[in-house]
Amino acid sequence: MTKKLQYRRVLALTLLVCAVFAGLAGRLVYLQVFRHDELAKLAQDNTQREFREAPRRGDILDAHGNLLATSIPVKTVCADPSLIGTQQVAVAHALAPLLQMSEGELYPKLFVRVSKNERGETVTNNLHYVRLQKNVTEENWQKIQLAMGQFSPGADGKKLSRNDRESLRQLRQSAIFPEPDQMRVYPNGPLAAQVLGFSGVEEFKLDGRPVSQISGRDGIELALNSVLSGVAGWRVTATDSKKQELVALRDEDVQPRDGLNVVLTIDAAIQHILETSLADAMQKHTPRSITGIVLRPRTGEILAMATLPNYDPNTPATVTPETRDRVITDVVEPGSTFKIVVVSGALNEGAVKLTDEFDCEQGHFAFAGKTLHDHEPFGLLTTEGIITKSSNIGAAKIGIKLGEQNLYHYAWDFGFGQRTGVPLPGEVSGILHPVKDWSKVSVAQIPMGQGVAVTRLQMLMAMAALANDGWLMRPMLVSRLEDRNGNAVQKYEPQRVRQVVSEATDKQMVGVLKTVVSPEGTAPGAAMQNYIVAGKTGTAQKANPAGGYFDDKFISSFIGFFPADNPQVCISIVMDEPKEGYYGGKVCGPVFKEIAERCASYLNVPPDQNLQTQNPPRPVVASLHPKNYSQTP
Amino acid sequence: MLIAGSAIGYVWQKNEIYRLSQQIRQRELHLKQLTDGSEKLRVRLADLRSPVMLDQRVRELNLGLAPAQPAQVWRLPEPAAAPPEKTPVPRQLAARQAGAPRTQ
Repeated sequence: MTKKLQYRRVLALTLLVCAVFAGLAGRLVYLQVFRHDELAKLAQDNTQREFREAPRRGDILDAHGNLLATSIPVKTVCADPSLIGTQQVAVAHALAPLLQMSEGELYPKLFVRVSKNERGETVTNNLHYVRLQKNVTEENWQKIQLAMGQFSPGADGKKLSRNDRESLRQLRQSAIFPEPDQMRVYPNGPLAAQVLGFSGVEEFKLDGRPVSQISGRDGIELALNSVLSGVAGWRVTATDSKKQELVALRDEDVQPRDGLNVVLTIDAAIQHILETSLADAMQKHTPRSITGIVLRPRTGEILAMATLPNYDPNTPATVTPETRDRVITDVVEPGSTFKIVVVSGALNEGAVKLTDEFDCEQGHFAFAGKTLHDHEPFGLLTTEGIITKSSNIGAAKIGIKLGEQNLYHYAWDFGFGQRTGVPLPGEVSGILHPVKDWSKVSVAQIPMGQGVAVTRLQMLMAMAALANDGWLMRPMLVSRLEDRNGNAVQKYEPQRVRQVVSEATDKQMVGVLKTVVSPEGTAPGAAMQNYIVAGKTGTAQKANPAGGYFDDKFISSFIGFFPADNPQVCISIVMDEPKEGYYGGKVCGPVFKEIAERCASYLNVPPDQNLQTQNPPRPVVASLHPKNYSQTP
Repeated sequence: MLIAGSAIGYVWQKNEIYRLSQQIRQRELHLKQLTDGSEKLRVRLADLRSPVMLDQRVRELNLGLAPAQPAQVWRLPEPAAAPPEKTPVPRQLAARQAGAPRTQ
């Protein structure tokens, strides 16, 4: 009986144990089989972390390797509000000056924010993560670390409970942490601002965490954004409780591919020369804007390009519509500089000769129901004289002789009505209507630079074609792309677009353009002491949106190149509504001269032999003595 | 013994992995610091070499520096390319030739 009872008890116990094990086995199967994926993911999320490794944005360099834009490593300081507990006031007080924020601004960020997600669930702020400040330097971060390491809530540490001491330890060690970041800087400030453009920060979410990356907003930064940006890498790894990586548990490690460096054709020194001279002219003539371009006509390389007013790309808040890159985004009626198109076209077609004479009607010429005017009365002028004196009526008569179709053809071939292809965003094509849309007076108006709208760059490229044996070049702004070690990844070569006029015509035109800076011409102030200059002035009345033209608002310009017989540099200066004079030769000619002489000195352009002064030259070698060095002739 | 040895070996191996991973981490951090420092110095150098900065310094120091005028520069004509000289016979070769047996 007793044995039976014992057997029963053993059996019951065995069954109970078996049932428990069966239950456990069932639970195991349930967890390991049926909920395997879900739980495996949870386990992985607890241990594994995936970090995005941002690529370094490429630099922008000038032709000599000077840094124009670069990225420097900085920190984004973040906080885990759940570790701050009730110490928001003290933490805000300790960190606000170091983060260059006010305590009032910092304080609310240190709280755990509770909100409802899209499914209506209550959630705390994202993964115990809040950004406090971006672009914190390494030095400042070290100060923050020190401040947090010495952080004291006020109470005596020894009197704190064990839990409070642990909370304080976590607050000191982990509540404030950095994330690597980079900041775009432009070491030269506003130098070449419109060419470089500026950048901003693009935010997006990756696995629920906000990620920021630098992105171009204008200029080369925007045009070559994909080249400069690079490709992000990633690292899948595990971290310990202090958020330190456990390298042994590193799983995937794909290095980022840094952005390429962009080497421009811009020369920082010439850019500086251009901008300082433009700034002086801006002060003297107070125009609404002034633009300048310096270009090598043989290759189309842009050595400098500036628009004033400009901005500092380090502070994008200074960017306004007024600071846009007017060289390529604005169109204007070119005025007399456009005469080079009609005269070179007519010479090329054989429609006129340099010695042909035209009656300039003493300044008043009625044509197709309109009266054309000259800035002063002229009688008979040769073709050359028409350019020298910049006679509108003479140019109109040459245009009539050339014919509508030919005039349109040459204007198109010189690059008007189409984008030049400079690698900058926002370039417009200008306005060159097809002949079928012309009025009767167009054939007389267009030669004097009315009825067409051009960009400053188009006009310069047309002049540069005359400085390059009649070959129109594509403007070059990017010389090559390099990797971080300076190895060229891609090189860009000068590109010829087309030959617009023959070499013989071109030589004639250069001869004509030389007379513009003579005492009889419209721009004697543009003549250089040691170089022969060829160029053309322009003074265009501004079009009135209500119809007709303003009497007192002008676009003044001078475009020229030197040495005329072996052109090294072509320069365009354009002022919008200058004061203290408005003739292109008067206001822009001297600015051209100043820039040209400084460029010639910097580029070491050999002077024209027949213009060398009679004074015995003082060699630089003799000036090495400090007494001599400070003197200039 | 085998099991004990394997266990010790396993622990030693894990310990080594941990130690080496710590070293890797330290060196990666050090490399990052050096790279960041180098970047900062590069930017500083760019600042100092920038034409804007140089121009400003020249003005501040009032050195009276001015660009050389074209008339101040003497340009020396490039010397005409000299005709190629006769290649002298190397001494050793000459000596060997002198001592070489004459052939008919």
